[in-house]
Amino acid sequence: MTEPAHLGARLPDAPRLDGWLWPPGLPVPESFVETRAGHAQVRGPAPGPGCAEALVSSLRAAGRRLADRPVRQISATLAAVAGDLVRQLDDHALEEVAANAALSPAMTREVVEGIAESWTPDALDRLLRAEFPDVRALDGFVLEDGRAVRAAGPGTTLHFGSGTVPGVTVTSMIRALLVKSPILAKPGAGDVALTVRFARALRAADPVLGAGAAVHYWPGGDPAHDDWERALLRLVDQAVVYGADATIESVRARAPASTRLVEHALRLGVAVVDPARAPGSAAHGARAAALYDQRGCVSTHLFLLLGDRDQAARWCDELADRFASLHRTLPFAPVGTGTLSAVHQLRGRLALKKAASGTVELWTPRDSPTPEAPRTDLDAPGWTVVLAPIEEFEPIGARTAWVVPTPDLNGCLETLAPLAPVLQSVGLAGIPEERLDESGFAEALFTVGATRIVPLSDVPFPGAEWLHDGARPLGELVRWAEARRR
Amino acid sequence: MLRRYWEQSGCRSPACWEEVPPVPTAAFKDVSIGPDAPEAVFRTSGTTIKPAGRRGEHRVASLALYRTASRRNYRRHLFPGVASVRVVSLVPNPTALPESSLGTMAGFISREPEVSVAAWAFDPERGVDVEVVRRAVAGEPVLLLATAFALVQLLDAIEELRLPTGSRIMETGGFKGRTAAVDRETLYQRIGTVLGVPESHVVNEYGMTEMLSQAYDAVAGAAPPLPARVHRFPPWVRTRALDPASLAPLPPGRPGLLSHFDLANAGSVCHLLTEDMGATTSNGGFRFLGRAAGAVLRGCSLPAESFIRTAGRP
Repeated sequence: MTEPAHLGARLPDAPRLDGWLWPPGLPVPESFVETRAGHAQVRGPAPGPGCAEALVSSLRAAGRRLADRPVRQISATLAAVAGDLVRQLDDHALEEVAANAALSPAMTREVVEGIAESWTPDALDRLLRAEFPDVRALDGFVLEDGRAVRAAGPGTTLHFGSGTVPGVTVTSMIRALLVKSPILAKPGAGDVALTVRFARALRAADPVLGAGAAVHYWPGGDPAHDDWERALLRLVDQAVVYGADATIESVRARAPASTRLVEHALRLGVAVVDPARAPGSAAHGARAAALYDQRGCVSTHLFLLLGDRDQAARWCDELADRFASLHRTLPFAPVGTGTLSAVHQLRGRLALKKAASGTVELWTPRDSPTPEAPRTDLDAPGWTVVLAPIEEFEPIGARTAWVVPTPDLNGCLETLAPLAPVLQSVGLAGIPEERLDESGFAEALFTVGATRIVPLSDVPFPGAEWLHDGARPLGELVRWAEARRR
Repeated sequence: MLRRYWEQSGCRSPACWEEVPPVPTAAFKDVSIGPDAPEAVFRTSGTTIKPAGRRGEHRVASLALYRTASRRNYRRHLFPGVASVRVVSLVPNPTALPESSLGTMAGFISREPEVSVAAWAFDPERGVDVEVVRRAVAGEPVLLLATAFALVQLLDAIEELRLPTGSRIMETGGFKGRTAAVDRETLYQRIGTVLGVPESHVVNEYGMTEMLSQAYDAVAGAAPPLPARVHRFPPWVRTRALDPASLAPLPPGRPGLLSHFDLANAGSVCHLLTEDMGATTSNGGFRFLGRAAGAVLRGCSLPAESFIRTAGRP
């Protein structure tokens, strides 16, 4: 449905941007298509006959030139370009990225600067060292325990992005290029602006490295692009797929066996908090839930509170206050009627549930201890804190924190066990390290599926070397070889 | 329960219907709404994914009340000028699916005195039975009752099947959770081409499991072109368009989230906040604009519908 005129007036003018950057030397596209991506109008080439072959062939050639480049040099260039990209993100650029991601400019800056901490020279160095005992293995054979070993990325990588978090695709491009695999990136709908800016900056700073980074946005799942996607999946050596189960299953069904798949499905973030031992934890909790407007795979949706319902309710009071503060500094971007409607439905049905059973408590801007009713329409939908039994939990998003009182750590594990297939980050607050070790809680969390167990304050921004969905981010891209001699 | 809900919403004793806090339709998926010993329990189709997977449940005190509430309006909009008609239903037979409020209403219609024969040509599992439709449409004019989705299934399955002159169609519902969505203009054009029923004889019914009254956008046989149509409820229903952010009432012509106050919902809840967009008209009707556009934006965070599947919840 088209957004009615007066509601459309709430949304900023959709910026128009080019959602593509092809390798140099390719013919200029003959025709373009324009699609809506986030709140932006994105123009991209209409793939013609032979286009996929030409693109991948060009990237493959760029890869051959990259092979001779020392990985340390590549790393330094990538970090420098990424650093400049963030430093030079002026108001105009920020608004473009924000509009594309449908985040407020303040939230966009917070998110991009936070993610960019994993693009710094130190961060990339940590990443390389964490994954390769001798990073020169990416440049040639190196001796390791009586054998020579070598690691190399695939000849070409295709990145299938999905979603609306800016920076995810740049991270994926950096990872591929670090292992010297040229990459064609299809960003998520809300990640086009930043990705194209990065690719352009890289091309300008280092034409050889930049020739190995192409960008082309098209709407994922569009049957009109099925042939194009099939051709790419046949031609590239590896596809990195982010997205919902349906996206991953669709790529799996169409990729030939010779194309390696690296999959990152949608994930759920939770937190375990002992409020008695973590007096400031509500502030970290609000941040962990609010950043990315709760769209990140690391975003926290569910808080398991050690203690009884009264203790949890007091923590919810504090969490609501912290949400209100964040709402002032990191507001929502103007949202569409669908989001607003979903939030009204959620709050209304929970309020009725509260009236029916008394098992649900609700905190919203309207009934916050410090009334924080939306100042204007643009501030909606605000935030929601729900204190409820675990049976009620649904990761609705839109800055909704579900708080479930839990008697002890064993209770937390029982609650989390059914979530194992989708569990990712577990933020901890008030759980001392010795308690983690002595009680075997970290081990138990790992067993129930958690792949990232970190202080609650660290949840929003993983380090470059994080074990992304339980895999080494460079390790899952490379192929190893060993050479032994008598 | 509703009194407590009103109190929570800051309204202890509403002085007029506008002051009664509306209950969101999604609440029917969470809370048992209606009498303890209902005569019927209607359930939503389950194609709506918010909140994922759970089906709304409307406990209805009296089917007689439902029939009375729906009958006046369907007779007024579907039966004018009809002496005898065959009903062909692409809505489930209420005997097979008693939990369908739409099917139950189709059952009411099929028992009207003008109806000579009723053919049930839709199975929830197998979809439209084209042969039943073919056999049923010979002879006197037909009143075809269909969801838009089933109608598209029928149109896709046949090249041409001219309905007898004077036939009319009531279509309802959207394409919630379905992949084959088409706009109404296209749908009506295809109906004209394939079934030979002109736009003037096709009307849209707006209704939902959660309310017992329905709105129609025209009288079959005299329906104006689509852009000129306005939905009308019977006089015991009031409709408002509410600002999607603040839920403040909007003046006629301004699109917002639709809320309906239906007195026929006695025994359950009268004031409903829907997920539908529309604009009221100055003479008591409303223009239906479809579902509120766009879901909550997602990134790589697990959405509720996937979560429900993962957690294996009903």
